[in-house]
Amino acid sequence: MAEIAKKSNPISGLTDRIRPEKKPKEPKRSRKEERERFKKRLATLTPAEQKYLKRKRFIESVWPVVRALLVFGLCFVIIYPLLYMVTAAFRPRAEMNDPTIIWLSRTTTTQNIKDVIRTMDFWHTLGNTLFLNIGCSIIQVITCALTGYGFGRFKFKGKNILFGVVIFMILMPPQIILIPQYTFFRYFNPFGIYHKITGNFINLIDSPLTMYMPALTANGIKAGLFIFLFRQSFRGLPKELEDAAYLDGCSPLRTFVSVMIPNAGSTFLTVFLLSVVWYWNDYYVSTSFFTNNSTIALQLKNLDAALVRVIFNNGNIKVNARELIVWMEAGCLLAVTPILIMYVFLQKYFTEGIARSGLTGM
Amino acid sequence: MKKLNLSYERKKGLYGYGFIGLWFIGALIFFIIPVIKSFIYSFYNVTPDIGQLVMTPAGVENYKRAFMIDPNFRVYLTEVLGQTAWQTPVIIVFSLFVAIIINQEFFGRTFARAVFFLPVIIATGPVYAIITGDLSTSGTADADQFSTMFSSNMVDQLLEFIGIYGFNDKLTEVLSTMTSDILNLVWKCGIQIIVFLSALQAIPPQAKEAAGIEGATAWEFFWKITLPYVSPMILVNLVYTIIDTFVDPSNKVMERVLQIQDDWKYGLSAAMAWSYFAIILVVVGAIFAVMNKIVYYDD
Repeated sequence: MAEIAKKSNPISGLTDRIRPEKKPKEPKRSRKEERERFKKRLATLTPAEQKYLKRKRFIESVWPVVRALLVFGLCFVIIYPLLYMVTAAFRPRAEMNDPTIIWLSRTTTTQNIKDVIRTMDFWHTLGNTLFLNIGCSIIQVITCALTGYGFGRFKFKGKNILFGVVIFMILMPPQIILIPQYTFFRYFNPFGIYHKITGNFINLIDSPLTMYMPALTANGIKAGLFIFLFRQSFRGLPKELEDAAYLDGCSPLRTFVSVMIPNAGSTFLTVFLLSVVWYWNDYYVSTSFFTNNSTIALQLKNLDAALVRVIFNNGNIKVNARELIVWMEAGCLLAVTPILIMYVFLQKYFTEGIARSGLTGM
Repeated sequence: MKKLNLSYERKKGLYGYGFIGLWFIGALIFFIIPVIKSFIYSFYNVTPDIGQLVMTPAGVENYKRAFMIDPNFRVYLTEVLGQTAWQTPVIIVFSLFVAIIINQEFFGRTFARAVFFLPVIIATGPVYAIITGDLSTSGTADADQFSTMFSSNMVDQLLEFIGIYGFNDKLTEVLSTMTSDILNLVWKCGIQIIVFLSALQAIPPQAKEAAGIEGATAWEFFWKITLPYVSPMILVNLVYTIIDTFVDPSNKVMERVLQIQDDWKYGLSAAMAWSYFAIILVVVGAIFAVMNKIVYYDD
């Protein structure tokens, strides 16, 4: 695969290749003229060639229709839950029981959203999540880039074994290492001497440090994958760039900062965005280390229980499973919106970076 | 510098250690030591106590218990393996198909691309669990409303329409699970589509030109040009898809492991997780061995 990468020189601008090349426009002819020309041309050809051309023409006229139907259908399957989320979130709960209502409710209400904002303590939780999210992602991008650069551009003893560890980080189910990690944070013992001096351990459960410490050492959520992406993208950059910098008297670190980083910009952005998304969506790691410290994903995971506690607590309100959907969908809508807004604006970078960072050149 | 008298290569190598140093410290603390510890746990009976874990040796008892005594583990394991076995090829074929379509030029392509990658940002979170639960498992009327589009009846009706009655029951069942799971599958394809798309765009223009001059039909073009050039990425996507389904926290084996963990049976849960991991390694290894012979490398 490395050969392919070399051939299709990654920095020659995948951007250009992702966008369609614009063909020069031919002068427009009317349909009739077109048909005439086609017939004239056909007459000069052998029967086999005629058959081939006719078939080609048929396929070329039918395919766009089939394609449009397919694309529309598949897009619908993906967007359907989101559309439903919006209609259900603004629907009065009583109307969930009305069999005549499928999409649009008779009246709309923002009560569900308000309820869920109160239940989730939304604004506070949002702030907390963003603090964890953005902070960890920025740190993780930097540390993973350093590591990826080390693996991608230097030769040293034991490199293959160490890179094997990175691959294992990708392959290993996180459940395996959960308990040792938990005990590490629960009975945190800095440098192994804190316990000897004070006789105590530090309890880091619920502390943001449980997220920040792994991120700081390039071991956060999906760090293995990010190191891998960075390694691929740095390996794809031409060696001359680096040599020129060394000749000019740059140290490796300086080379990295002022030559390599600007050339791998899109990978940085992609990794950052993916990292934000994964931290945002993570409830697996955070359930283990957080009991009081809440994130949006955690709140959403426990939303039905929290609703019972906060909104339906007086017992006056009886809610059946169908009516509960209204609140659940409102919660989903709140949880999805921030990340969706980010996606709408930065959509291009999600895909471009993955393509460019040369997964293609394994 | 002259005192140390290191060669240029060795000096560069030392800088390499410098770059990965931070990661190595972290990996030691957060990955390597925990992995070793949990491997040790799997051979002990572990009970939590204040400030420490009490460990009594248990030999292979935990592994025996996972496979022989635990009522759910083996069932879930075969279920997950079976599911992965049929879902992975479907996901690969489907995402290749979608990638080929959105690699063509048509009106609204940018929009279509944005939609197809949308699952990447949503499918890993609890939102996905809620919407799929709402739509397919909780048994609400809206679930029916959605699933009628892909319901099992459709397969039966289609077969009856062609004139096949009482066709092999098992086959129709397989077909109907496949069609009713279409939502899940479409939602799992985001990354794979991106990977295939970038591979499609890396097909050298000479190859396309040559095929055009020879008069290859789209069908021939796919089998003779597209597939060979994309084949390395099929391997990548296969491995990615398998790992993604295996490591997904919502899969049943994973849930079982977590349940056991919540019951404080750390030894047993470690044994389960490790045997599961061994299976993943064997599967991925086998696929690598087989696919590496089929894959076409362009050189």
